[in-house]
Amino acid sequence: MNPFVALYSSRRLGGAVGLAVTALLLTACATTPMAPTSDLAAAKEAIAAAEQTGARQHAGAELDEAQQKLLMAERSASREQMIDAERLAREARAAAELASARTELEKAAAINREMGRSADALTEEMRRTGDQQ
Amino acid sequence: MNRSIATKMKHRGLIGGLLISSLAVTACATAPIAPQGSQQARSDLTDLQNNPEMATRARAELRDAEAAVRLAERPLDEDDAALGKHRVYMAEQAVSLAETRASTRYAEESRSLLGDERDAARLRARTAEVARARDETSSAREAMDAAQRAEAQSEANATLKAAEYQRQIDALQAEITDRGLVLTLGDVLFATGKAELRSGTIDNLDRLVDFLNAYPERRAQIDGHTDNVGSAEYNRGLSQRRAESVRHYLTQQGIAARRLSVSGLGMDRPVADNDTASGRQQNRRVDIVIENPSQSSSAEGTY
Repeated sequence: MNPFVALYSSRRLGGAVGLAVTALLLTACATTPMAPTSDLAAAKEAIAAAEQTGARQHAGAELDEAQQKLLMAERSASREQMIDAERLAREARAAAELASARTELEKAAAINREMGRSADALTEEMRRTGDQQ
Repeated sequence: MNRSIATKMKHRGLIGGLLISSLAVTACATAPIAPQGSQQARSDLTDLQNNPEMATRARAELRDAEAAVRLAERPLDEDDAALGKHRVYMAEQAVSLAETRASTRYAEESRSLLGDERDAARLRARTAEVARARDETSSAREAMDAAQRAEAQSEANATLKAAEYQRQIDALQAEITDRGLVLTLGDVLFATGKAELRSGTIDNLDRLVDFLNAYPERRAQIDGHTDNVGSAEYNRGLSQRRAESVRHYLTQQGIAARRLSVSGLGMDRPVADNDTASGRQQNRRVDIVIENPSQSSSAEGTY
């Protein structure tokens, strides 16, 4: 085969691929996504789960944040700002999950404190009764 | 030549197209930098990963956090600040989640240690309590035992003493009166008109000696009595001599004379009718009154 022809056809091919990639990238930026229904649902679910574990009491700040993010996500969705809506929904879910985790940590720490106290109390009691001797 | 120009033209067009498209792409990525805050997320994650107590307790969460931080660290165009912010937020949340879960697991795992500690404390308390109770019980029991032993001892002693005393009294055939023990030696000890003790009939006196030896604190009053045969003077003298005869015998047996007092009461205190022979016989006697111990005498206080 003529080396020129080979060069020509390969260049052509490269150019086509380049254009295709560019087009893809551009369209990716341009497409209006669907409403993030599943992300919103997941966020709501995570918030409900956090409330269930007692996050209101043990991780109020995180729970508030999650609820605010969810509210903002729903507003964005209603304004058809779907990208924002999706991100906010994911953030709401993450915040809710952290709220749940914080709640679990608080509970575990409280149990440990209680156990430590009772051990201390026993030791103290023993020391006192020992002193009475 | 013609063909080569044509190809050159075509090349130029292609290059132009590529340039334009690359421009369009780079428009989205001019001066790409890592989003603000991603460094903080990275450093938080690194801290967590370098803490062995944390890192081993949240491996899965740390993997997720690593991915989230890596995503957040991707350089982004300024126009994508919102995306960067979102990624950083997600990264921070992922790191926090990993840290929280690790802390929770750490707390849960150290709980068994706390439980052990509490159990140990409880055990120590119990052991001390038991030891204390045992000490108290044993000392209380010892005290009680000692008291019981002492009581039993004194009871036994008292019983023994009482029994012994009773035995002595029984042996003396004495009578317990307000004045003391009264032992009456009948006139069988003496021949009529005589003051000398008849030998062989002195068992009663020997038992008296035993008694006085057993109760060395006691004093004895020896009273001689007679019937109304003969003058009062004679009878007083006779009763005195008989009483002294008894004292003489007792001192010979080793009883201290100071414990013994003597009086001859003659015929003044008859215990029976002098009109009959048997009455007169009863009146001829020596009474030995063993005085009750004084209250201050402790040894046999109640006797």
